[in-house]
Amino acid sequence: MQKKAASVSRIIATIINECRLFLKDIAGLSLLLLMPIVLTVIMALIQDAPFREYQNIRFDVLWVDNDHGQLAKKLQEDFSQTKQFHLVTSVDDKVLDDAAVKALVQKGKYQIGIVIPNGLSAEVINSANQIANDIGSKIGAPGKLPQRESRPGNDIQVYFDPAAKQTFKLSIMNALEKFTTKSEAELTLSRLAKTMKSQDSDTNDSVNIDLQNRLRSVGIREASPVNANIYSATNSVQHNVPAWAIFGLFFIIIPIAGNMIGEREDGSLTRLKLIPGSYFDILFGKLFFYVMVGVVQFYLMLQAGVYLLPHLGLPALYMGHAPISLFITAIVISFTATSYGVLIGTVFQTANQALPFGSISIVILSAIGGIWVPVEILPYALQQLAKVSPLHWALDIINDLFLRNGSFYGILPKLSMLLGFSAVFFIIAGVVEKRRKR
Amino acid sequence: MLQINNLHKTYKHAPEPSLQGLNIQFSTGIIAGLLGPNGAGKTTTISIICGLVAPDNGDVVVLGDNVRSELDSIKKKIGVVPQSIALYPQLSVFENLQYVGKLYGLKGTALKDKIYHYLKIFGLDNNAKKSIKHFSGGMKRRANIIAALLHEPVLLILDEPTAGVDVQSRNMIMDFLKMYNAQGHSIIYTSHLLEEAQELCDEVAIIDNGKLVVHGNTEELISSHHANNLEDLFLKITGTKVRD
Repeated sequence: MQKKAASVSRIIATIINECRLFLKDIAGLSLLLLMPIVLTVIMALIQDAPFREYQNIRFDVLWVDNDHGQLAKKLQEDFSQTKQFHLVTSVDDKVLDDAAVKALVQKGKYQIGIVIPNGLSAEVINSANQIANDIGSKIGAPGKLPQRESRPGNDIQVYFDPAAKQTFKLSIMNALEKFTTKSEAELTLSRLAKTMKSQDSDTNDSVNIDLQNRLRSVGIREASPVNANIYSATNSVQHNVPAWAIFGLFFIIIPIAGNMIGEREDGSLTRLKLIPGSYFDILFGKLFFYVMVGVVQFYLMLQAGVYLLPHLGLPALYMGHAPISLFITAIVISFTATSYGVLIGTVFQTANQALPFGSISIVILSAIGGIWVPVEILPYALQQLAKVSPLHWALDIINDLFLRNGSFYGILPKLSMLLGFSAVFFIIAGVVEKRRKR
Repeated sequence: MLQINNLHKTYKHAPEPSLQGLNIQFSTGIIAGLLGPNGAGKTTTISIICGLVAPDNGDVVVLGDNVRSELDSIKKKIGVVPQSIALYPQLSVFENLQYVGKLYGLKGTALKDKIYHYLKIFGLDNNAKKSIKHFSGGMKRRANIIAALLHEPVLLILDEPTAGVDVQSRNMIMDFLKMYNAQGHSIIYTSHLLEEAQELCDEVAIIDNGKLVVHGNTEELISSHHANNLEDLFLKITGTKVRD
């Protein structure tokens, strides 16, 4: 009992001492707390655009209409009606032509240019007439619309800035495809209605409307796999704030490793080892202190996501409905980061060795762990590699809690993985320290 | 107070052994000097005595306890002043001593009184709140000694406690050590300052190449080797060749 009390007393003394050492370095303390918050906010802002759905972003689209027909007009209307596109038909008071569009897009002044070829509408109407006539003849409609042989080579030309990303191109092409198909379908339906109108004089445009409505009878709606009350859409804030908060938290290895190496260099470690009692009491006190600093740092970064980012035009961070599980998770993540700091501080002899290695290793672990880019979009091999990064497990647990309505028992195996990483870090540090004593 | 039997130690990757069968015995209540040229094995011996380094072979018994099995008991009875200033430079001397005292199980007013008692003895009481990093070399050495005294050790071990200090600080330290010994405490001391060692030590053991070369009462050794002083004796025994 007395031994236990002595042990607790040593732990408390160490926590107080670490606190004193920490407070002596106000600049370092400020950097440790502020820099990760700045990083989190900046990354959330920067990565906001790629995370937004493209329809929420307004693009200037160079538009050249060489057709001046029904389809070109319909496409122009559809493009103009969406908030996604702003059609530009003239630049510097000059009406655009094909060559001007190519030049402007190639220079990167505009990202997209669309050229509607001459005769497109006529070609589409001819196709629609062919379809309407085919159907009409099968159902015995008397009317026959004029038709001719199809003429190939009437493709809509789309120019992209050479620096445009593939995902961006794909998104624009999909939108264009959708509008074109819709216009073609509407045109075909209206032509079909025209053939039927000839059969029944009472039939009017309502046929067209009915057919269109019927075609729209099956819709697609995104549904939440979790409780309806749970926030389910990810966005820049929802990915970046936890991801960079974890990244920033792992940078606690810098003060820990620096502290350990400093103690070795200035001899204070020798003093601690000369004192009777287990050195583990002292180590535990240090760990406890740094784990708590990490937890405070982590929550500060999350709070920046909740309260600061909305003032910068971003959505507020949604932190789920499991505050106790989140607190335990924060402790476990901070403990893992701290144990990694102990490993770095033990293995390396000087700060010049430890600090660059520590920093770069965190950047590498964060890259393979899905902090920069979600792991789901990486190749299979890299997805498997992500499992060796504690940052991957940390982010996965946070996503479970924030987005997947995860329970404590659900995240327990992943928390155990993080504790497993800590155990490995401590074992390696212990072996290195033992070998050093020889 | 100290019994070293056939002590061997070779550090990993070291080309030569640091200790090769060292045997020394110091009696209780004396000031004993552990002397030797650079690389003789003094610091290794002290490191083994206080448990910082594990021996390869041999036995060390300190105040009746074996370092291999009763290290914690030994640590309670000894105070060690390492060669380096083993204190946190960013903290004040009071904060440093308070932490060390608490780790020894001292607390409250008793600890505070003890800290100020020693700060006064070593002339640091007016600088109690000053950071160690702003101390002079002599002040740091004195603070370093106080950290080894707070738990009132029976045996005080000092590894070159006066290295790099001015005459005034050295005199203060020497006077304290004499006084501390007069109170019944044993002291083991290493130094390259042989004049100082001759003045202070009742017994000296000179080691070289990890082995004991000579051991005995300081004055008797000087006289039996027909030396003028301890430095003369030291050079006669260890030679004049410069050591690295």
